[in-house]
Amino acid sequence: MADNYAIRVRGHLDVRWSAWFDGLTVTTHTDGTTLIEGPVADQAALFGLLQKMRDVGLPLLSVTQLS
Amino acid sequence: MAGPLLETKLHVPRRRSELVSRPRLSERLHRGLGAKLMLVSAPAGFGKTTLLAEWLAPSLESAWLSLDHNDNDPATFWTYVIAALRTVSPEIGATTLALLQEGQPAPVRLLLTPLINDLGAGTTDLVLVLDDYHVIDSAEVQEGIGFLLEHLPPRLHLAIVSRADPGLPLAGLRARGELVEVRAADLRFTADEAAAYLNGSMGLELSAEDVSALEGRTEGWIAALQLAALSMEGRADASGFIAGFAGDDRYVVDYLVEEVLKRQPGHVQDFLMQTSILDRMNGALCDALTGGDDGRATLEDLDKRNLFLVPLDDRRQWYRYHHLFADVLQARLLDEKPGRVAELHRLASAWHAANGDAAQAIRHAMAGEDFDGAADLVEVEMPAMRRDRREVTLRAWLERLPSEVIRVRPALCNALAGTRLSTGTMDGVDALLQDAQRWLDEPADGMVVVDHEQFRRLPAEVAVHRAGLALATGDVDGAVAFASRALEIAVDEDHLSRGAASALRGLAAWGSGDLETAEAAYAECLVHFEPIGHIGDFFGCSIAHADMRLTLGRLRAAADTFETALRLASRQEGAVVRGTADMHVGRASLHYELDDLAAARRELARSLELGEHTALPQNAYRYRVGLAEVAAAEGDLDAAVDLLDDAARLYVGDFSPNVHPVPAVRARAWLRQGRLADARGWATQQGLSATDDLSYLREFEHVTLARVLIEEGNLDPAADLLTRLAHAAEEGSRWGSVIEIQAVLALTHQLRGDLPAALASLESALLLAEPEGYVRTFVDEGPRMATLLEAAAEREVAPRYARRLLAAFGTTPAPAAPGLVEPLSGRELDVLRLLATDLSGPEIARELVVSLHTVRSHTKAVYAKLGVTSRRTAVSRARELGLL
Repeated sequence: MADNYAIRVRGHLDVRWSAWFDGLTVTTHTDGTTLIEGPVADQAALFGLLQKMRDVGLPLLSVTQLS
Repeated sequence: MAGPLLETKLHVPRRRSELVSRPRLSERLHRGLGAKLMLVSAPAGFGKTTLLAEWLAPSLESAWLSLDHNDNDPATFWTYVIAALRTVSPEIGATTLALLQEGQPAPVRLLLTPLINDLGAGTTDLVLVLDDYHVIDSAEVQEGIGFLLEHLPPRLHLAIVSRADPGLPLAGLRARGELVEVRAADLRFTADEAAAYLNGSMGLELSAEDVSALEGRTEGWIAALQLAALSMEGRADASGFIAGFAGDDRYVVDYLVEEVLKRQPGHVQDFLMQTSILDRMNGALCDALTGGDDGRATLEDLDKRNLFLVPLDDRRQWYRYHHLFADVLQARLLDEKPGRVAELHRLASAWHAANGDAAQAIRHAMAGEDFDGAADLVEVEMPAMRRDRREVTLRAWLERLPSEVIRVRPALCNALAGTRLSTGTMDGVDALLQDAQRWLDEPADGMVVVDHEQFRRLPAEVAVHRAGLALATGDVDGAVAFASRALEIAVDEDHLSRGAASALRGLAAWGSGDLETAEAAYAECLVHFEPIGHIGDFFGCSIAHADMRLTLGRLRAAADTFETALRLASRQEGAVVRGTADMHVGRASLHYELDDLAAARRELARSLELGEHTALPQNAYRYRVGLAEVAAAEGDLDAAVDLLDDAARLYVGDFSPNVHPVPAVRARAWLRQGRLADARGWATQQGLSATDDLSYLREFEHVTLARVLIEEGNLDPAADLLTRLAHAAEEGSRWGSVIEIQAVLALTHQLRGDLPAALASLESALLLAEPEGYVRTFVDEGPRMATLLEAAAEREVAPRYARRLLAAFGTTPAPAAPGLVEPLSGRELDVLRLLATDLSGPEIARELVVSLHTVRSHTKAVYAKLGVTSRRTAVSRARELGLL
């Protein structure tokens, strides 16, 4: 079963990145961070997602599993 | 390799010089020449590749390899590593390449030892750069790099460039000072470097405040500074731009790429986005995607303006985008034209297919979710992939295809089943083979066949795989049935199926003790493997074949098997074929039986000399069993038992039945040492009993048990057991086994005081043994056998042969005179043998793949045990003792 994850990165990311992150929701916050959240199929998909963030140099702040 | 070797991967990616010289980092890398590993680890766009390429430029010998996802197949990875090294020394790695192209995938240690030896032969420093190492996630490749690092010749320096730290023991390397690192914090431009870049290289004439603001906003991230510089080129109000940028919260790259793109004409923006899906591109490929005809001109223009294009060759034909830029462009493409992405991938796939790069064509077809197209390509490519031993890549492709696509393609069902079987996975194999079989039985609409030549061979291949599956799951009858079926239906020139089916049928017969059928089937399989160049399989089967002939009591025929194999080996060009060493060990055991101990030793020495890379995995233990046999015959039972301990530790199984288990061989040696309790312990542990039902697979152990019973004085149970064993062996025509069993039975009768029965048993053994000239089977039974043979000779029972055997008792050398107080260990013997060559200490270390320190401590131990103080005297003393 897919779990919901929230991944926080530093900097404001345009909503247009949503498609690149497999349709996850991209929301910017006033503290200068961006939250990327939504269902992630499994651990392999989660690591794939983190790898994508690494590859565009996004500074990772936190990864949280939502309920 | 499927497809040509891409030279672009070996090209040092030198960017045009708008570079800032960075002496502080080059100096650190230079220190790396005193360490084992240079690690440049930082996120994308930190100038890692540029730093390495610039540092290497002046005088250092270097080999460069830019990695991509396909390099997770060890065969591909090491082929490219050798290709890179060959840009420096064209001869390097011949043996490793030969091993890569062989039957079974070689274990890392075997594969890399010859390469490491080749590299160690040179003297000048050589830097091997592995760029983009973060794409490597294969455990096998990582293991290989770990092994290389552990045994790195002093001249070689490994430089790993990666976005993530590699899975190597970095903490240990760091602690031993063997690691030099350059990380993100080191790579960031300092304020001075930023100023030198922006005002010097780019000629922007910015104020100190502006430079500082940019440096702060980008945190010295080089890619961001480059994007910023591109955004400002030719702009009147640079300060205004910087203020706007610095006051914005947007992700640096997002903001800047937008700025750069905004300044490009519409057709260039389109070009960049559409081609962003490519791993590498030339003008024609770009045209195929954009539908235009100015691809080459556009690439040249982008290159001139330094718009994140990396040239991949000196002629500036092939390029790639800087990875970071490509990713941002792709993110925009996905957002703006989501429907176009799949189409672009399909166009890229078609172009690569038409231009002979199947791997890229398949990658793009999959990325474009054109799984039918991908499956077509995979089916056509399969024979080449198998021939080049790239099963890992082939399996990855097959596993990625959706099951509904596989299911309608009998060739792919069969191939996926085959790749799973060869890696020991049974999951879904039965279902896949049944799917394939259903199409073959009733070809119907909906079945997809691309390669009709392969399809003709498919029925036999499916039957072979079903036989393999049956055998793996213990269904011997099923295995025989499917293998026979495969032989019936295989087309004449399909040697692979015919050979594999014969081997499987032989294997099934072997396991059930029907050695005559097994022997004939293996002879058949050898005939098929030879013409198709499956030399590794040929040698593996030759060992089994000779073993069967020995059990059948046909010593001379077994010798023929080894002769044929060695003749075939000598006809191969290039490096010595893997399996050659095994043939010499096999021959040693034949010489041994004929009581030519010197010849047996010569063959064993030859096997050792040829080296581990010429041996199949089982040779390490077989060699020691062979040497133990000779040592015991020469009276050094302690050394024999040591060797057998090593052999037991080094034993590796394969699909052949283990009919002469090392622990049983060792129990026999214990008996000769008088260690009856240990031998009994072995028998108990194996759960052996004199009243067991008999099966060929335990024949050797049961004969060993009978020997234990005799020494314990349990003569009646021993005689009963041996009588039953003799009947079973006779029924299976296992005359080699019968000879030994009757000989031991003769001794049992003799001990019971029943001389007529003893002589009757001995006579049947002698009659079977004489034509083939057996000696050691009798001589190894010791004085009791001598007494019995004398009685036989007196009573005219095979008198001539009996007298010949009696003569052989006298010639066995007496146990080495004063002997050794403490025997040499297996490893010490290895060192001793190499001390007798003219190899230097470091060369011996490399040969044995241990450190120089280890060699020295073994050498010291050898000297101490032999009571000598120099290498020369050690060798002469060892010769006296018969250790060499």
